[in-house]
Amino acid sequence: MKAAGRYRYLFSPLRIGPVVLRNRIVFAAHLTNYAEDGHPTEQHAAYYEARARGGAGLIVTEEHSVHPTDWPYEKLIHGFDESVIPGYQRITAAVHRHGTPILAQINHNGGQASGMYSRLPVWAASPVADPLFREVAKEVDHAEIAEIVAGYAKTAGHCVQGGFDGIELQCSHSSIVRGFLSPATNLRDDEYGGDLQRRARILLEIVAAVREAIGPGRALGVRLCGDELINGGTTIDDAVEVARMVEATGHVDYINTSIGVATSTLYMIEASMHIPPGYALFIPSAIRKAVELPVVGVGRFKDPLQAERALAEGHCDMIGVVRGQIADADFAAKARSGHADDIRLCLSCNQECVGRMGLNRWLGCIENPRTGRESVPLPRPARSRRKVMVVGAGPAGLQAAIAAAGCGHDVTVHERADTAGGQVRLASTVPSRAEFGDLVRNQLAECARLRVTIRYGSDIDAAAVRAAAPDTVIVATGAAAERPYWAPPDAGQVVDIRQVLDGSVAPQGRVIVVDEIGFHHATSVAELLADRGAQVEVVTPGMVVGQDLGITLDMENWCVRAAAKGIVQTTDCLVTGVGPGSVTLMHHPTGRTRQTDADWVVCAVPAAPAEQLYLELKALGQPGVRRAGDCVAPRRAHAAVIEGQRAGEAL
Amino acid sequence: MLGPLPLGTAGEARAPSRVMFGPHETNLGRRRAFSDRHVAYYARRAAGGAGIVVTETASVHPSDWPYERAPLAAASAAGWASIAQACHAEGTLALASIGHAGGQGSSAYSQQPLLAPSRVPDVTTREAPKAMEADDIDAAVAGFGDAARLAVSAGLDGVEVNAGQHSLVRQFLSGLTNQRQDGYGTDRLLFALEVMQTVRDAARGAVVGLRLCCDELAPWAGITPDAALEILTALHPYADYVVAVRGSIYSVSATRPDGHTPPGFNLDLSRRVRDALPGRVAVVAQGSIVEVDMAQRTLESGAADAVEMTRAQIADPDLVRKVRAGAPATVRPCVLCNQTCQVRDPRNPVVSCIGEPASGHETEDVPVSGTSPRPQRVLVVGGGPGGLEAARTAALRGHHVHVVDRAAQPGGAVRAAAAGAGRERLARIADWLASECSRLGVEFDLGRELGGKDIDAHDGAVIICTGSADGRRDYRVEPGADIRTARSVLEQATRPDGGLPDGPAVIWDPVGGPIGISVAELLAPGRQVALVTPDLIPGAQLARSGDLADASTRLQQAGVALHKRSRLVTVTPSAAVVEDVFTGEAADIGAAVVIDAGHRLPEDSLWRAHPALRRAGDAVAPRTMYEAVLEGRRAALALDGRAT
Repeated sequence: MKAAGRYRYLFSPLRIGPVVLRNRIVFAAHLTNYAEDGHPTEQHAAYYEARARGGAGLIVTEEHSVHPTDWPYEKLIHGFDESVIPGYQRITAAVHRHGTPILAQINHNGGQASGMYSRLPVWAASPVADPLFREVAKEVDHAEIAEIVAGYAKTAGHCVQGGFDGIELQCSHSSIVRGFLSPATNLRDDEYGGDLQRRARILLEIVAAVREAIGPGRALGVRLCGDELINGGTTIDDAVEVARMVEATGHVDYINTSIGVATSTLYMIEASMHIPPGYALFIPSAIRKAVELPVVGVGRFKDPLQAERALAEGHCDMIGVVRGQIADADFAAKARSGHADDIRLCLSCNQECVGRMGLNRWLGCIENPRTGRESVPLPRPARSRRKVMVVGAGPAGLQAAIAAAGCGHDVTVHERADTAGGQVRLASTVPSRAEFGDLVRNQLAECARLRVTIRYGSDIDAAAVRAAAPDTVIVATGAAAERPYWAPPDAGQVVDIRQVLDGSVAPQGRVIVVDEIGFHHATSVAELLADRGAQVEVVTPGMVVGQDLGITLDMENWCVRAAAKGIVQTTDCLVTGVGPGSVTLMHHPTGRTRQTDADWVVCAVPAAPAEQLYLELKALGQPGVRRAGDCVAPRRAHAAVIEGQRAGEAL
Repeated sequence: MLGPLPLGTAGEARAPSRVMFGPHETNLGRRRAFSDRHVAYYARRAAGGAGIVVTETASVHPSDWPYERAPLAAASAAGWASIAQACHAEGTLALASIGHAGGQGSSAYSQQPLLAPSRVPDVTTREAPKAMEADDIDAAVAGFGDAARLAVSAGLDGVEVNAGQHSLVRQFLSGLTNQRQDGYGTDRLLFALEVMQTVRDAARGAVVGLRLCCDELAPWAGITPDAALEILTALHPYADYVVAVRGSIYSVSATRPDGHTPPGFNLDLSRRVRDALPGRVAVVAQGSIVEVDMAQRTLESGAADAVEMTRAQIADPDLVRKVRAGAPATVRPCVLCNQTCQVRDPRNPVVSCIGEPASGHETEDVPVSGTSPRPQRVLVVGGGPGGLEAARTAALRGHHVHVVDRAAQPGGAVRAAAAGAGRERLARIADWLASECSRLGVEFDLGRELGGKDIDAHDGAVIICTGSADGRRDYRVEPGADIRTARSVLEQATRPDGGLPDGPAVIWDPVGGPIGISVAELLAPGRQVALVTPDLIPGAQLARSGDLADASTRLQQAGVALHKRSRLVTVTPSAAVVEDVFTGEAADIGAAVVIDAGHRLPEDSLWRAHPALRRAGDAVAPRTMYEAVLEGRRAALALDGRAT
């Protein structure tokens, strides 16, 4: 079937005001931390251009601040400063080369900020402290409101000079406008507070001022929060009413939607794989019934068929696909040309995109080493085709194979097991982590396209490498479970998470899971065992079980699921001994020890790199030997992918 | 303290005073290079009389990128040259700290594996490092040499090798982190020895310093003071001075602790090191030395040849100059709060000081100095830190200033905060501000509530610094429930019963800063105390000051019951009803009194009656002392039309 037949709606054009989109796929606004000194960079231009080249219907940039009082994170673009214009022009020229329209999102984050960078009080409707930044805001007076409105108009003017096709007003998850709209943060009793009409006054003033600044030839969109998911906050009925007010101005060309508050319920804005796709569609659906304007729906759309279905069911007119296009810039083009199976599907793992944002780092992707590096030149194709042997078909080995084969080399991967994927495959056997396995699926598909040979059941030693005489060998042999020092060899009830995941043991009864890694390792296995009826306690020497789950926005739902499954979370404790049917725990802040019953102890502890082959080959003077991934140091999947890529490219 | 210190193999380098401005993170950098802001920051301390400035530790090799703005030696030549020039203009010695953070670094920026002697994950990041191969070791050693060569050729007077906190050299020296089976493990000194020999050669006669961890506070496998003396026996031939520090992977906060640790904690260590070393090698004492008296005693007693006073010179860049001028009492005190000078934080905050907000902002902030062209009569309403700084600045510039406060003692919210456990030193900044104001002729009218009529009657400028008022309660209160604010509890802390009823106390801390924690610690010795926090960790905002893990340990040792992930929903006469923030599951905690450590509101009634008047600090929006001082200063500068 031709693509046009498979996607009746996704690839149909749409007009939003003066702008025509070739399809319904929106690369919606999201932070990148690519800015430097408040300015957009070359990397911004290259990043957006890659998605334009890849067929996106509409691009909306990350937010640009409209006023110096707004500086919540270091790498924010200062749109209020006219020196941003050359950077804007670089972005729009790059995107327009591919015929793609691009809008600038402009915003003031209001009280969802601190004065750390601005050294100014933060401005908001009322003196309410934000739940994340915890700084009491200065209640803005009328002159300051006028200053904000003027800031929007001025910034919109800069965007027009910068060549943007229009403006999107972020009035949704992190915005002073949402702060005014919400009864939770607007406690005013003047013309800007009270009933919804008054709370919306600043929004309508901004809409009018921005339209005047940009004229009729540019598109104007408004992004609204459909449900703040906080006590006493905005819910869908108010949002629909506001959408009607926005439409009634006659100044606006489309409505975008979102859910949650970035500084409180972010885990529902950038939901990880634990939240079902399409979870926020009720918002555009309700708004679309109330207004004539085209409406954008968002919420973990990672597959073109999902997107098509949301359009077909009438929930929305456009679909925001952000992480899907971070993982694969050619998402739209591949779907359109009938190669949807070639799309490097987003895992919704949030590790290197969302996870890096909160830590003030540039945006990347766990499975796409190009993301965040679009402005760095690609390696040159190989001048001579070399015979490359990769040992190990985990994420590092497969990525090394992809990179080497992509440069034109002749690549064979040897895998000891009868399947690929290494630890990623094991991790994704936990039902709630299944989407993580798409990493392997994507890599295998790319290997197949690049005609990489994969030999399963092929256990390679140094002699076999020498016999095969490759020009280059990349060792990606992973890591092996290591028994903790406190577990005597005869304590059979002490096992590694890998033994649970591969089915070689089935702990039951009372199970202690030891978390010394601080990510999904312990918590996912704890859930698996609790689901099978075990009584589970997760113990960590750290201050938080699964300490890094907050970075990927998995903490909230882990805690909810753990509570529902009766999983006990114990912090600040070390295992110091194992006896028959029990373990000894030491609470290190006080030094107190206690014994607790344990039929099984399951360890999520650092593994040992499987580096023997690498060291042997090096000792033998094998030419061109490199290693990548866990056999260097056992870490997370992104490190394996990046190192595999680097090893493959370095030939 | 004020005498010169000769350094170097031939003693040809002379520090003009025995006060060091030591290496520390600043986040002033431009990518990985030293910036103009760095130059101005160091130049300011040199102008203030620092004897030796040691610049922020630069990575000796690209495999090390411990934080985003960490300088890289290879990118530092131009910056080092400018810093050398600026310091030399004041006669100050300028040295480069050079190092490699090893397994205590970060892979987030380089996207390369962390390198360490052995694969021991850091306790905080839990990231497994790569056990260094022979060529990794060779490259690191060579990197130290390259960095030293570059620093000296840029015009610096020498280098300081970091073998203290966050250092690969210490990781090789320590049994905690070096479990190698090869020559670098059987002889844990070997790597440090190679580094020091290489640096000594590369420095070509310039000063070589060694910052050495002499106590890892982990005697089961770490470096002990005894072991440190053995290490120094081997390394001292390659060094002209040694800074004895403490702390390791398990005790990062112990290296540069806040006020919960008494100042001068390393003096015994320093003395032992000095006694063991030949006189040729100078010893610099480090460890929260922030008082001029202590510095002088340290030097006079022979515990050290010089003192590192880094935070003290962040708080007052003119420390040495003021001592030289015979006015040590005018030195703005460092109160060891670590609130804004500690910047190892992914958000890259710029180094600054709650008492001297111009620190770190030398290139941007308008100087306070100068005389007003139009002296006025200035009425400052409120004698908290914002009001006092406004008054001090205005008086300094020649205005006639009058401060009115309803309390009997100036200091405002700082007085209350200083009543919290472990925060006593905060009072010194209020004392200093008040005494500077008096010295500059500011008149105080204390114990007096000001009315609108007083404002109308005042002929001149008015600055409103009326501080904060109790905040909103977003929980239900049943009749008969006893609820206090943290502020009122702290204000009454000196009363024998603390002004509280008998029975268990529950502290509701939605902020997660130092206030709630310090109230819990204050009350815990005498009664049953529970702390309720919406966060996963009590005092979650303390990560930046370095007190996060320590506070949690102290609370648990004091027997404070921690209710994490919980929100206060109702207070009854006998209990606090809380619910889990994620699941909504409710629980009762027995409470005779509930103490609300939540956000406060501006006390702005006077301003609302006179909205044209300038205001500063908590009266605008209740925040920290940093903002109060900054805005108080700005309000005073604005009298003369000087805006920052």
